[in-house]
Amino acid sequence: MRYNEKELQALSRQPAELAAELGMRGPKKGSVLKRRLVKLVVNFLFYFRTDEAEPVGALLLERCRVTQEEPSGFSISFMEDPERKYHFECCSEEQCQEWMGALRRASYEFMRRSLIFYRNEIQKMTGKDPLEQFGISEEARFQLGGLKA
Amino acid sequence: MKLHQKPVLSFFRGCRTQAPDREGILLKKGTRNTSYQRRWFILRGNLLFYLENQADHTPLGLILLENSQVEPRLGATEPYAFTILTPRAEGTGGRAYKLAAENQEELGAWLWALAGASWRRLVVLLPPLEARYRELCQAAGKEPSSPPEDCGFLATLSTPYSFQELHEHFGKEIRVLQMVRRRPQASPNGSRSQVEEEQELNSC
Repeated sequence: MRYNEKELQALSRQPAELAAELGMRGPKKGSVLKRRLVKLVVNFLFYFRTDEAEPVGALLLERCRVTQEEPSGFSISFMEDPERKYHFECCSEEQCQEWMGALRRASYEFMRRSLIFYRNEIQKMTGKDPLEQFGISEEARFQLGGLKA
Repeated sequence: MKLHQKPVLSFFRGCRTQAPDREGILLKKGTRNTSYQRRWFILRGNLLFYLENQADHTPLGLILLENSQVEPRLGATEPYAFTILTPRAEGTGGRAYKLAAENQEELGAWLWALAGASWRRLVVLLPPLEARYRELCQAAGKEPSSPPEDCGFLATLSTPYSFQELHEHFGKEIRVLQMVRRRPQASPNGSRSQVEEEQELNSC
């Protein structure tokens, strides 16, 4: 599948939700833990060698699961292949919790579901559609029942 | 830089039973071969995939829409033409994807859908809605609940996932989807039945 590397690079330079030096280990057997600068930008996770300006790689954070791994780390796996995990080591439990929370919130699909959830709950409680004030109540992306016939 | 393809393909394939934000035929001007090619485009969130054919299992390509500009392109060889301009690292102008819709209506619909596609736009809408929800819950003396998790089954299933467990789960999901499709049209209070369906699906 083609993609434009410059687009990805441009994205990696945008303001990050969170950035820190973490230990990182890839999903392949025998992967070694390496220090990486990890940067969360929108729904992408970039990781850099600590002294380089260009990321080594990028992970799309959709349909992924973030799990705590003892003692103060977490792993990211993707729904269609849950055994394949990217491991990260934090310097403290606090940092670990911070990252786990941010990664879970990073998914576009998660935000969309949350928005639809709040919209419906508010509508049930007030009888009014809160998205009307934003002028976006008709947008397809915020409708329920998103299953194909 | 390596974009890990498995997560992207997994996302692309995993969402195929769900309606995308928009999909349809668009003409895309090639880079080497500068003629327009018919492609099937699928917009999901801030990602725009294009396929050679609608039913393809793997997209031909992916366009990242975050911070891109979308504009109609007048004076193009094709009518209903527009450009997606994606940002470049050095800020010296981005990659311009030259596309064209098949008619005026499609052009309008695509421009509208693409304009609303950014993650950052969505992220500012959430906090006021969440706050309003919590405010209303507090006023009603109700315990606020959380939005549904990515996929209910992963929250309850313990690792490792055996084939048997996966097989049972997906079987259950398919049965619910079949049930949803067979259900007669919405009740008088349309939004309520939709919420019930959503809740049922999320409890899989």
